[in-house]
Parts: sequence; structure tokens; C-alpha cells
Amino acid sequence: MSLLSRLEDSIPSLRRYAWTLLRDPAEADDLVQDCLVRALDRLGTVRSEAELRPWLFAILHNLHVSRWRRQRRQRQVAVADADADVAIPASQPAGVEIRDVLRGIAALPEDQRQIVVLVAVEGLAYAEVAAILGIPVGTVMSRLSRARDRLRAFAEGHERPALRRVK
Amino acid sequence: MNSFQRPIGEDDLHAYVDGFLDAERRRVVERYLADHPEAAARIAGWQRAGVALREAVAWKAQEPVPAELSVVRLVEARLSRRTARWQPAAAVFLAVAVGAGSGWFARGPGMPRGVDAVSMEAAIAYRVFATDRMHPVEFDAANRVELVAWATRRLGRAVAPPDLSKSGFHLIGGRLIATPQGPGCMFLYGNAQGNRITVFVRPMHKIDVNAPMRPVQAGGTTGFAWARDGLGVSLVASTPLPGLQKLSDQVRDAMSPET
Repeated sequence: MSLLSRLEDSIPSLRRYAWTLLRDPAEADDLVQDCLVRALDRLGTVRSEAELRPWLFAILHNLHVSRWRRQRRQRQVAVADADADVAIPASQPAGVEIRDVLRGIAALPEDQRQIVVLVAVEGLAYAEVAAILGIPVGTVMSRLSRARDRLRAFAEGHERPALRRVK
Repeated sequence: MNSFQRPIGEDDLHAYVDGFLDAERRRVVERYLADHPEAAARIAGWQRAGVALREAVAWKAQEPVPAELSVVRLVEARLSRRTARWQPAAAVFLAVAVGAGSGWFARGPGMPRGVDAVSMEAAIAYRVFATDRMHPVEFDAANRVELVAWATRRLGRAVAPPDLSKSGFHLIGGRLIATPQGPGCMFLYGNAQGNRITVFVRPMHKIDVNAPMRPVQAGGTTGFAWARDGLGVSLVASTPLPGLQKLSDQVRDAMSPET
């Protein structure tokens, strides 16, 4: 039962991650629901509580890749012009820096966005992120550098969505 | 760079920002940053961006988890997939579990009445149908005329989905809903952001034939409910969208008998 309650505890952060991937509340929750259904079917394969969270993110990632690839491509085309796409609820306080960083995160290529969110928001270790995404740790680190430099540029107001800084 | 140390790499800088370094290595990185203002500015920028990013997405993890993502509910669904005869028990269990969770469904002794009952029925209908991406409605917007005719016949009074397109919500369709008081009708709307709202209506019997608009909440849904001239109405959304009250005012005005 304790794995089950740990699973329940992970739902808010899975929803947050799914939202940063899709930025559509209903689609994000659909993805999380699929992830939870899959996880419940295989919960018996989890050996420890420490494994649970990265394992859940891996399921979510794989579902996202396999089932949402087409929509994601369409979405990336749409992202280029959309401030609305990074809209956060009006009830949420949002300083200039937060709006800039939201624009920055929307402007990142998806592979960089996933990594910086898993590391900086969800607090996962680099090796866990590498396992979740199925890529080498070295790739995680180099993409993390690019993502952080880019977000820094946005947060400091040096970059606008239309401009691309040449590195 | 300190000559006796393993050289500082980007990995160290990330691990410094993310708190993955042991105390010794951390001190080495701090000395390095003290000697290299440009690297220090870069790291400070990473940290600031990280803080801003965490703040920017924190609200999403603080939202109440929608009922359809409740583990109890998913486990129940999984059980009932395997043994269909569990379903009546599952429904009772679900009602109890949801009621216990929200502290709302089981208000007072016995069933909710009047507008309270309307908003409960609307919340259940929302969670069962509005979240369904495959087949949420019986009549889609293209068959609006049939929907209106059918709902009017079954509810015994004229009902039609109000036009909410000025607020960005387009009609997806509608369906009949069974309630303890007889048939009700749910109209489903969506906007460009993928948010879904429903307008649920059913005739009122004796209690709350007219009742002022009030905010209502039920496990995972939020909205407004009221009754006017014998028609109970509840507008429901899964998240507290800005402008929900304005939308409710619009619905109330649109659904009043023409004067």
C-alpha cells in the first residue's frame, strides 16, 4: 500500500511535467491518466520506493513519445508565434522574470525542455534523467547547458522569442 | 584554475547549481567561481532562471488533482474491467470515497436538495462525460437542431445550449443525463486552449424553483449553480478558470425566457 500512496503523492508532479510538455490541461491530464493506468498494471515490478518516481516519469515519457508524437509536431509549429501558448492562469502572480522564463521554456527544443524541467523543477538526478529519456548522461549534460544558457538569456531579458542567439 | 584539483567542468557547474556536490568539491567550485567572474555570472543566471522556472510552474502541482486521476478510482476501474459484477459495489464505493475526499457530496443527512442536487448532478455528469475524449456527447454541434428538439421533449420545457462563442467557448454537443428527479441535459463546450465546460439543466420540482447564483465545488470540479423559473442550471469546469462567473452570468441571461 505504501507504494500506492507514493504513487498518489507523485501525481501533482506528473501533472506539472505533463503540462510543461503539452501545455494543454486536458491533454496533459489524459497523458497522466494513461501513465497511471500503465503504472498500476506494472506496480509489482517496482522494487523500491526510490525507484518509483523516475520509473513513473519514464512511463510518462514513453507514452508521450509513442502516442503524442504527431500532435507534438503540430504543436511545435504553433509554438513559434504564440505568447498565448505559455499563458498561465490570471489568478497566478507572475513577475516579468517568470513570464520571460515561460517564453524561454516554450522556445526551447523539446529535448532541452524535458531535461531542464526534469532536473531543475522535478529535482531528478542526471543519471535518472538519462534513463528516463533513454540517452547517455553526457547528452543530458550538454543539452542541460544549452537549455540553461538559453533560459538565462530569456530570464535576463536578453532574448525575445523571435530572436535566436547564435552560440 | 587550481593546479592540484581535477579541472572544473560544466558538469561540476550543474551539480553545484543542483546541489549534487559533496562539501569538498563544492568548496573547489566556489573558489573557481570567485576567480572567474564570467562563469560566476553564468551560474547566477542559471540559478535565477531555475528559481523563476520553478515559480512559473509551481501552480500546476498545487492544483487539486482531478477526480479521474485519483488512484482509488483508477484501481476501481481496473478491478471492474476484470470482474464486471463488481460494478454496482464500485459505484457505491466510489461515491463514498469521493464524498469522503471532497467533503461535499455527502452534505448533511440524506441527499442534497434543490440547487445543491443540481450542482451535484452537474459535477457527476461532467466527470463522467466531459472528460471523455472519444464520445462525450450524444448529439454533436452539427446536430444542434435535433439536440434542442430532443432535450425540449424529454425535459418538458424549452431548453437550448446558449451561445458562448463570444467568450471563446464553442458548443461540442449535448446529451441527456439521468437524475433522481428525471431527465436533465448537459451541454458541453470547449475553447481553443482545450478547456471544457458544461452547462447542465433540469427542471426544478417545488424546492428552489428560483434560487440566486452561487459558487459550487465538488471533488475536482468548480462552477456556479442557480435556478430561475423552474429551471435549475449549473455551469461546471474542471479548473477555476478566470471569467467563470462572467460566463455564468451570460448563461443565466441567455437561458431566461425572452421578455
